[in-house]
Amino acid sequence: MTEFAGHLPGLSTEEVEWRVLDFAAWGESVQVSVPVLSEAQSLALAARVRENARAYLKTRSVAQIVATLDKAVARLLDRDDPWRRKAEALLPIVTGYDAETVRLGLSGYLRTFRAPQLQRFLAEDFANPAVLDAFQPAMKGGFTRAHGPELLLHVWAGNVPGLPLWSLISGLLVKAGTVGKVASAEPLLAGWFARVLGEIDPRMGECLAIVWWKGGDADSEQVWLDQADTVVAFGGNAALTAIRDRAPVTARFLAHGHKIGFGLVSAAALDTRRAGPLARLVAHDVMRYEQQGCYAPQMLFVERGGKISPRDFAEQVSRELAGFARRHPRRALSVAEAAGVASWRNAEEMRAFDGEGRVVLGDAADPWSVVLVEEAEPLAPSGLNRTLKIVAVDRLDDVIPLIAPFRAFLQSAAVAATPEELFRIAALLGEAGVTRICAFGRMTAPEAGWHNDGRFNLLDLVTITEIEQSAELAAEGFADYVD
Amino acid sequence: MKFRDKTILVTGASRGIGAALAKAFAAEGGLVIVNYRRSEAAAQAVVEACRAAGGQALAIAADVTVPEEVAAMVAVIGEEAGRIDAVVNNAFAPYVFDPDDRARFWETPWSAYQAQVDGALKATYHVCQAVLPLMRQRGRGAIVNMASDLVARPSIAYHDYTTAKAALIGFSRNLATELGPLGIRVNCVAPGLVYPTDASRGTREAVKDMLIAQTPLGRIATPEDVAGPVLFLASDWSGFVTGQTLHVDGGLVMS
Repeated sequence: MTEFAGHLPGLSTEEVEWRVLDFAAWGESVQVSVPVLSEAQSLALAARVRENARAYLKTRSVAQIVATLDKAVARLLDRDDPWRRKAEALLPIVTGYDAETVRLGLSGYLRTFRAPQLQRFLAEDFANPAVLDAFQPAMKGGFTRAHGPELLLHVWAGNVPGLPLWSLISGLLVKAGTVGKVASAEPLLAGWFARVLGEIDPRMGECLAIVWWKGGDADSEQVWLDQADTVVAFGGNAALTAIRDRAPVTARFLAHGHKIGFGLVSAAALDTRRAGPLARLVAHDVMRYEQQGCYAPQMLFVERGGKISPRDFAEQVSRELAGFARRHPRRALSVAEAAGVASWRNAEEMRAFDGEGRVVLGDAADPWSVVLVEEAEPLAPSGLNRTLKIVAVDRLDDVIPLIAPFRAFLQSAAVAATPEELFRIAALLGEAGVTRICAFGRMTAPEAGWHNDGRFNLLDLVTITEIEQSAELAAEGFADYVD
Repeated sequence: MKFRDKTILVTGASRGIGAALAKAFAAEGGLVIVNYRRSEAAAQAVVEACRAAGGQALAIAADVTVPEEVAAMVAVIGEEAGRIDAVVNNAFAPYVFDPDDRARFWETPWSAYQAQVDGALKATYHVCQAVLPLMRQRGRGAIVNMASDLVARPSIAYHDYTTAKAALIGFSRNLATELGPLGIRVNCVAPGLVYPTDASRGTREAVKDMLIAQTPLGRIATPEDVAGPVLFLASDWSGFVTGQTLHVDGGLVMS
């Protein structure tokens, strides 16, 4: 089976050189052809997207764009739609995630992009979203209008299906001519979404392109970086630095680096009735997408003093992960990933032999791993792919010094605590650099309109044009009705 | 070789059903801990038979109604094997099944009940408490408790014995509920009359004939008959089964 990735308005399949990426999982395989564009083709495509956006997308109202996006999302939510069927069939093979994870994850993501959610998304960043359509009166006097980029380049990373849609849709909402570079690990969904958009509104479909180049191919990347006026990039710090250094100084560069999610469990949440369901939610967040997303928990801090001890809770989480291993089997790991998990577990086991207060739960052969540590330990990445360290603390406040040194890596934290504790600890977490606090079970599903990395996802993309009051008043002086 | 690299503790394994279970686990490649109280020679014979069957075995003396002795035994298992995959609580207080001369209720002192409750329930309680840390760390384990089909169908009213076994079934169901979330399964096997064992050696032919007449499979259980269901419940073949009581009595009880 061969599937063509990307979305290249104005270019026919025959004109383009394709490279085949092989994927295999769950006993099936698929070949994905990704486009390898020449410099001339890239330049022409950039010009075309920029021009089409100027001629069409920027003339549409935000409400019209929301309506079109809503229709596209509805298509992908419809399990009988051919695109959706294709996504459910191919994405498990491409990403390795089990079919149920892909199905539930896709629907979960897409639901946050229906029209009401998109309106909320807009309202989060713009007091008056009409500012994207026309000049609007400003409180301070004068008028204001927001313009999206002429050519917005997204450089996506990772293999979580649907994740690119966050930034892709953000760009379209601000009417940006859009080019997205898909990751080799999941090159399909963004292109499909673009093609669905094209089926619903062919002219809108010509305002965006989905391209590919091999990660680290500096020459291809440079061509695109030179064309974009705004760049949104995802990935590790090394990759982001390389992109930033090559982006034109005049381009706006928005980076989303790797993050380490974590969770806090108050003693108040740990009684014999409620600890069990909570352990399941924790395990869910660890399991979903194998901790590949920036928001996934890699460490858990559990307060002592509840009826359920941190050790008891660790066992329950481990057990819930065992249950999920049946329901949502872990995807087959690459050699490097398996080695990462094994070395993480081995290191923990060595330390467990050396000293008291550290227990490695489960068997080495288990497709998950939970380590309990009785002494305070600073935030650190886990081995990913369902590996979790649980650190016992005397008080929730003790967590702050353990995470504060890693401000650049902070983003999502799940909290299970009483309302008083939630607001008190949230203040401390926020000071330390945490930008998103959610419930367990929701870590991998940010709500509609969330502020990724604490930024204004839409506002960061736009440039404001202001008609100062002086210009307005001066113009009055030149009106033909002036007295 | 369903139990290769697995460690199984069988209490009261020097004779009867326990000895048959030990040999069956050994034949499937397991490391069997042959627990006994006094019959050292018999226990050693079981160990030899286990090795001959292709498994490994280790005899450890411990009175399972005494917590200190149980703890010491489990400590040895922890050092020798480092793990316990399954426990069969098979030991029980001495009891003579004699339908001709059984104690009727008004002849049964509370001390007789207490002795049976201690033998069936207290022993199982101590063993479960002791093995739990090893099982919890690995998030897995199977506990099989030997009950009796007399609980479901008291063909003959052995008040003290059967009441203790009934308590054991209730105990097991609660334990299954508690330990399920930790990955540990708890089930019971409830045999009918098993012959020959030391306890049933004196059972008269007339009694056996009466039971056989009412048993669809038309005979009395042998110790080996019990092994299959116990091994099933101790293995991951029954990975989604907990809190159950499996009757092994040729269909005398159907539930």
